[in-house]
Amino acid sequence: MLARIAHELYWIGRQLARAEHTSRMLDGVFHADLQGRPDDPAGVQLSWDALLTIVSGEPPESPASRDQVLRLLTLDPDHPTSVLNCISRAREGARTVRDVFSGEMWEAINTFHLGLLQRNISAAVQTGPYSVYAYVRERCGLFWGVTSRTMLRDEAHAFLQAGAAIESADMVLRMLRVALPADGADTHVLDGQALALLQAVGGFQAYRRAVPAPPNARPVARFLLFERDYPDSVAFSIEALHAALTAADPAYRSSPAVLRLSRLMADLDFRARTPAPDSRIAGTLQLVQQELGLVDADIAQRYFGGPAQPAARPAA
Amino acid sequence: MRPSVAAIDQDFYDELIAADGQPRPHARTLVEALEELGPDALTAAGRRRDAIFMQQGITFDAGGPGEGPVRDRPFPLDLVPRIIPASEWTTIKRGLAQRIRALNHFVDDVYHAREIVHDGKVPWELIVSRPAFARAAHGIRPPGGVYCHVSGCDLVRDADGSWKVLEDNVRTPSGISYVLENRRAMTRLLPGLFEHYRVRPVDHYPALLRTALEEVAPTGGEEEATVVVWTPGPYNSAYFEHAFLARQMGVELVEASDLVVRDAVCHIRTTRGLQRVHAIYRRIDDDFMDPLEFRPDSVLGVPGLMRAYRAGSVAIVNAVGTGVADDKAIYHYVPEMIRYYLGEEPLLRNVNTYLLSDREQREWVLQNLADVVVKPTSESGGKGVFIGPRANDEEIARQAAEIKRQPERWIAQDLVRLSTVPTAKPDGTLAPRHVDLRPFAVFGEDIHIVPGGLTRVALREGSMIVNSSQGGGSKDTWVLEDDQYAPASPPLERWSPPRMPGLPLGDAWSSQQQQQQQ
Repeated sequence: MLARIAHELYWIGRQLARAEHTSRMLDGVFHADLQGRPDDPAGVQLSWDALLTIVSGEPPESPASRDQVLRLLTLDPDHPTSVLNCISRAREGARTVRDVFSGEMWEAINTFHLGLLQRNISAAVQTGPYSVYAYVRERCGLFWGVTSRTMLRDEAHAFLQAGAAIESADMVLRMLRVALPADGADTHVLDGQALALLQAVGGFQAYRRAVPAPPNARPVARFLLFERDYPDSVAFSIEALHAALTAADPAYRSSPAVLRLSRLMADLDFRARTPAPDSRIAGTLQLVQQELGLVDADIAQRYFGGPAQPAARPAA
Repeated sequence: MRPSVAAIDQDFYDELIAADGQPRPHARTLVEALEELGPDALTAAGRRRDAIFMQQGITFDAGGPGEGPVRDRPFPLDLVPRIIPASEWTTIKRGLAQRIRALNHFVDDVYHAREIVHDGKVPWELIVSRPAFARAAHGIRPPGGVYCHVSGCDLVRDADGSWKVLEDNVRTPSGISYVLENRRAMTRLLPGLFEHYRVRPVDHYPALLRTALEEVAPTGGEEEATVVVWTPGPYNSAYFEHAFLARQMGVELVEASDLVVRDAVCHIRTTRGLQRVHAIYRRIDDDFMDPLEFRPDSVLGVPGLMRAYRAGSVAIVNAVGTGVADDKAIYHYVPEMIRYYLGEEPLLRNVNTYLLSDREQREWVLQNLADVVVKPTSESGGKGVFIGPRANDEEIARQAAEIKRQPERWIAQDLVRLSTVPTAKPDGTLAPRHVDLRPFAVFGEDIHIVPGGLTRVALREGSMIVNSSQGGGSKDTWVLEDDQYAPASPPLERWSPPRMPGLPLGDAWSSQQQQQQQ
């Protein structure tokens, strides 16, 4: 398929996943923020600065207020990673690939975009952002549901899924790295942030069914990193990415991205099985994020038009 | 500023508005926020709440058992919260913990040494005649000596502002799921009300319960404990709560047909064969639990369960036979239990109660029927309650005849002038309505009480019957973090996140076309 179209689809997947994760995160932190710390060590806390750090990579110079962050990350048309912007870009991309998308898929994204523009988001963010984030979750769910029902499982589909997978992994890694830093914040606070994180991604019930331990920092981090049965874990996303690229590329055995991913998956599996001190988790998170960055570069290089090359031939 | 929040009824203590019509200090910000919101916005929020509750299935069976098909109605939540300052809650917490400990001792005593009976404090005939007294529980001591793992003691505040215990519930008290869902709904519908308050969260209850279940599970330290919630089934009026708790705890929700006892060990039937169960949180009455020991016609029970229980291979939460402690006739003796078992004075008082089996007390009550409340000892849910001051002559005469006929079926209590909280009427304006409070406690290795609890409110003007089956509603209950009513935001901790690249933005594809030219 056309490299340009593949590139577009990959980024549509990324933008949608980014919008959904950002919404979940904002929703989770907003509601956790409304209530104080209980007299039990199950406190919930994730500061607003943390959210800005997650998207920009650097902590903000001055402490951000709740309203500022909500506005910025939800509906600021100038902030590059606001939810509104992500959906706008996805929609623009979808216009380019209308021939590849089914009619229902296009309608889903387009209506989503229109809906965001029409809602009085400003008022909602102020008084009760729940409905905005619920809307985003619903519409993303609709899009992916329609995609899974109506889209041919071809290269196009694979690149769409690849984009969503790599972005999911990256977003969860960022949240983990920010919420659970290695250095000596006291465990009480860390545990509270872990619970907030878990509830923000919507994984609380899955966690409870899968893990017998109470939701403290260490088991939550391990769950979100290694649990291959949980659809939002890093391990699951990486496997999905690997599967998508394997499906897209007939010569996948010679694809640097796929090779890198295979190695990463094996490494993650190994780390999952060996009990390790807490400091190693931070190291693992950093490593995985770096590797994913390299995978992204590999993908761009191989599929979206590095120096023009003859079409890849299946290995003889 | 003159509050437009409704005037109070001077005969009662209002939780948010003081006698002079001004909001109490801890309620000032809330009242201001409500006034700013206005009746229309409040009613609109109410409609959204109903829609959300119906969508999420947060309902209850309005009909009650035996009255035809289940009629789901959204659980009635009034949007004006009730606030309990931190210092008051501390007293309540301590009083409840003390009471639960005493009740627990009592249950243990009743089914073992019966010391309290031998010392003449509680008559044996009374204990043994309670319908909930379980002969089958005699001699069984569950792990840790804990019987009342989950309790909900109903509290009321009298017109003088003092807290009193209205009634104990240590069998299968329900309502915690509504506490959790109410809080969630409030944060979603009216987050602005939470501004300037630090309200203690309540959503750790499922974790507390699960931990307690694991603490009492007899695994012998070897395996991971398998814990389940046992429900009579989807047609039970409290089914929502059973499913809710199972889901929140991450454990299986089982019905009788899933449970089987082999070799005095309880199992669940799984796709991989029988798996042992260590602890059962049962939401089913003693009477229906085991057709071999209790009601033989029960299809909701598991044959042989008592055998496993007696063998100590499975923990049942709450223990069998706890109902003997929350019987309305036994209630009268609870302050004495506290003194007897704990050597302490009760921190929370009982409501003055008259035992109608005692001749002198009965005579007095019959003379003063118009001033007291009469309750049947064997009913729950507010059924059959007679309220003297509201009754006409004919009703009084009828009640007197009933009492004379079967005095042991009734107890009488002083009328408590229940406190009020401003509550939204259908048009959105506020008016005082009577409330009670049911805090929830979990007793595993220790007693933990969730801040606040279920505030039940009588939605009809002047009514004091708060039970949902009789038309009552509920309110979110806020226990404040501390007594600072406008706290500064907590200091930001020293926190240095790792450096990461910013989120990539996806360059336009055309920028890579440059390499095309060869």
